Amino acid sequence: MRHVAWIVLPALLIGLGIGLALAWVVFPLGAVNSSPGALRADFKDQYRSAIAAAFASNGNLERARARLELLGDTDAIVALNAQAQRMLADNKTEQASDAAALASALAQGNAYVAPVLTTSTPYSYPTTQPTAAEDDALSAPTVFDDFASLTSETSLTQIVVEATARPTQTRMPTQSAPFALIGQESLCDANLPDGLLQILVLNANRKQLPGAEVHIAWAGGKESFFTGLKPELGNGYADFIMTPDVSYTVQLALGSDVAAALLAPSCKASNGALFTGGFKLTFQQP
Amino acid sequence: MKSNRWLFAFIALLAGVALGLAYGWIVEPVDFFDLTPDTLRADYKADYVLMVAETYRARSDPGFAARQLAVFGSQSPTSFASQGLEYARANDFASEDISLIQELITALQAWSGIP
Repeated sequence: MRHVAWIVLPALLIGLGIGLALAWVVFPLGAVNSSPGALRADFKDQYRSAIAAAFASNGNLERARARLELLGDTDAIVALNAQAQRMLADNKTEQASDAAALASALAQGNAYVAPVLTTSTPYSYPTTQPTAAEDDALSAPTVFDDFASLTSETSLTQIVVEATARPTQTRMPTQSAPFALIGQESLCDANLPDGLLQILVLNANRKQLPGAEVHIAWAGGKESFFTGLKPELGNGYADFIMTPDVSYTVQLALGSDVAAALLAPSCKASNGALFTGGFKLTFQQP
Repeated sequence: MKSNRWLFAFIALLAGVALGLAYGWIVEPVDFFDLTPDTLRADYKADYVLMVAETYRARSDPGFAARQLAVFGSQSPTSFASQGLEYARANDFASEDISLIQELITALQAWSGIP
């Protein structure tokens, strides 16, 4: 009997090894019934963008939050801000604005002012299992349970969208709440580039707002740029180099006070050398 | 006795293979990442369609909706949205959500694809 065991045990182990090799290497199960968190980075961006666009349409922050959790980002706000900046760089300004607005709403922790009415129902994902045809017998239960546990929280089912019927389809919520110019100071810092115009845009909670479009005009020209393109200096930061002796006017595209007659100041360094100073403008949502 | 021994060994080998397959396919299947959207489970796909429908309600831009749905590959946006609608109906989505998806499908059907 002991002789049999000496043969059976190695055979069992060898069989186990062959079975694992077949299951993991030769015939792995196809990728089906996956979750959004398993998507490739560019598709995750697309998914995130769709979430932001839907949020911009219905203002349902909890629905957006539940959807973002499916992507498995360690910090959804950071991910949205980073995506907004990538989109700005790709000239996808509307989508960037949606992503930035969702990031801001999440950061503020309250519902965004819904610009457009869509649904006004509580959010509840279906809790039934997929049909047999859709269900992958091997992987679906685990993943679906995760999803169900995420979406069947009472907090989700009790949410009522704060959107109410509005007469217009204005997409930018801040148009009704223009930004105020709360700070305008001339800077004489020889360490900064000559004629540097710094702009900082804050939301109502004094958090920096990425993706805000800034209009600057001068005699014979105008230009637009966005906050958040230099995240190392702040998500709500943007800058512009002013030409000496040219008067500039600055306003936010979202609606704001106008900073007019900005003329780069002439400054004197400690060694007596002259250089062109700059300005720092701070806009804040009331 | 000798032939029995090899028979046991063969049976043990088969049992090992079966155990290995069961472990590798059921208990600890291969984790996939960097997947494409067409591999998403039906409920996630339906929710994506709902997102597109919510956006369409506000923007009224079927071209944008079609581009959003195009991430699912060669399938036409309309048929993909229709699958989302079927899932939504079968799984008791809110009637408002179902209406949104229906509205999207109607717009996609009428959309020529030419901006």
